[in-house]
Amino acid sequence: MNLMTLQRYKNELILLLTLTFVISAFLYKLSATKYVVENKASIQQHTAEIIQIENYKKQWKSKGMANKVKVFKTIVTGSKVKTFSKKSSKLTLSYINLTANELNKITNKLLNIPVQIIMLQIKEHSKNKFTMELTCKW
Amino acid sequence: MVILNLTAKSSNKLLIHRNMKPITKVKNSIDIILTPQFYTFIREELDVNFSYQAKQIAEALFDDYLDSKKQYQYHVYKCNHEWCFFAYNIDEIDLFLESIGIEKHRVSKIYFAQQIQEALIHPVLLDDNNVLQSIDETVTLIPKQLMNPTVEYKPLNIDAIKLKGGATMSSSLNSFVSLKETLIMSTLFLMLGGIFVVEGNRIKASIAKDDAKLTALLDDNPKYISSLSRTSILEKYEPIDRIERAKRQAIKDISKLLSNKSQLKTLNISKNKITASIRTQNQTISRQVKNHAKAKSFKSSGTALNVKVEKAL
Repeated sequence: MNLMTLQRYKNELILLLTLTFVISAFLYKLSATKYVVENKASIQQHTAEIIQIENYKKQWKSKGMANKVKVFKTIVTGSKVKTFSKKSSKLTLSYINLTANELNKITNKLLNIPVQIIMLQIKEHSKNKFTMELTCKW
Repeated sequence: MVILNLTAKSSNKLLIHRNMKPITKVKNSIDIILTPQFYTFIREELDVNFSYQAKQIAEALFDDYLDSKKQYQYHVYKCNHEWCFFAYNIDEIDLFLESIGIEKHRVSKIYFAQQIQEALIHPVLLDDNNVLQSIDETVTLIPKQLMNPTVEYKPLNIDAIKLKGGATMSSSLNSFVSLKETLIMSTLFLMLGGIFVVEGNRIKASIAKDDAKLTALLDDNPKYISSLSRTSILEKYEPIDRIERAKRQAIKDISKLLSNKSQLKTLNISKNKITASIRTQNQTISRQVKNHAKAKSFKSSGTALNVKVEKAL
């Protein structure tokens, strides 16, 4: 194909070039749409998973929990704390002679501290006197 | 690499007239200068500023001078304070060019003898019978018999003449698509292509923010890059979260069953179960406790004044 032939069909060539451009641009748009459709959901899912993991860890594996659970030792008179044992990230404690108010106070505290309750036993051993055993971890 | 010359830069020039002899094969592009044998010329003073405006009225201007059965092309340019109009039949020119051995695609530009009228002030002998001369600033074909026998004819050196503003042969004839159509369609294609590109970029950018957020999170926590590791951690924490929330909700629900007339005797929470026994003052209270417990999805049992409620976690 010599220059003259190109010259002869220059209008068609211009159209061909612009048509190629518009087709390429259309394919680019299609590929962009496909890319977004394929990736948006997965990106959002991965992001949500990471945020969820961070939230779970923040809630159920809080670093300051060892100090926070010390409140169970001081929440009632020391004579009512029968045992208090904190090892690593596990707490075992028991109370005796708790009044209903004290029991409510301890229970409310327990509900609001994000620890995993392994075992909880509350027993009324005499009229309005309760014992409580608790094992929890974080 | 072949570079397409879209501006159709001119090369050799050739004066075309009816009685010219056939030419040996032309290999390069040429510009042709047509004698008045191939065009009709009108000079008109018009109140228009642009050549495209003048071209719009060209057809009407030639209405009385041209054969209505033929199709004409028009060329216009401004000459001094007037407009110079040319009407030509490209098919006729094409046929003639072929007859003298010039392939139409070799012709890049078409000029008119009128455009070189200053060089034709002195008569030029075209062939044995015809003379070309500018009379009253209009290039005219004159039969040789009418010329003064003593007149001296000068050769015309057209290669030395600089020409501008000719008509393009390709836009008139060779292309299947006219220049106007090409321009309109190309502009549309370019605009459409531009829209697609902008739209494509916009679509891609729509997840750029999410992508950047994920990248930042992964940069802070590279151990979460693996989906297996994420799934494993989630599988560990999801049941903890669900069960611990259930335990706390169950304790709250049991506390709502208690009153002055219904008191807690025992409460046990083990791994997957919560049980409580409640002492009531009478059977009516027992029924109420049982109904409330049922409403909270607890299973209730027990003797008259001792209600036991339990729920799997």
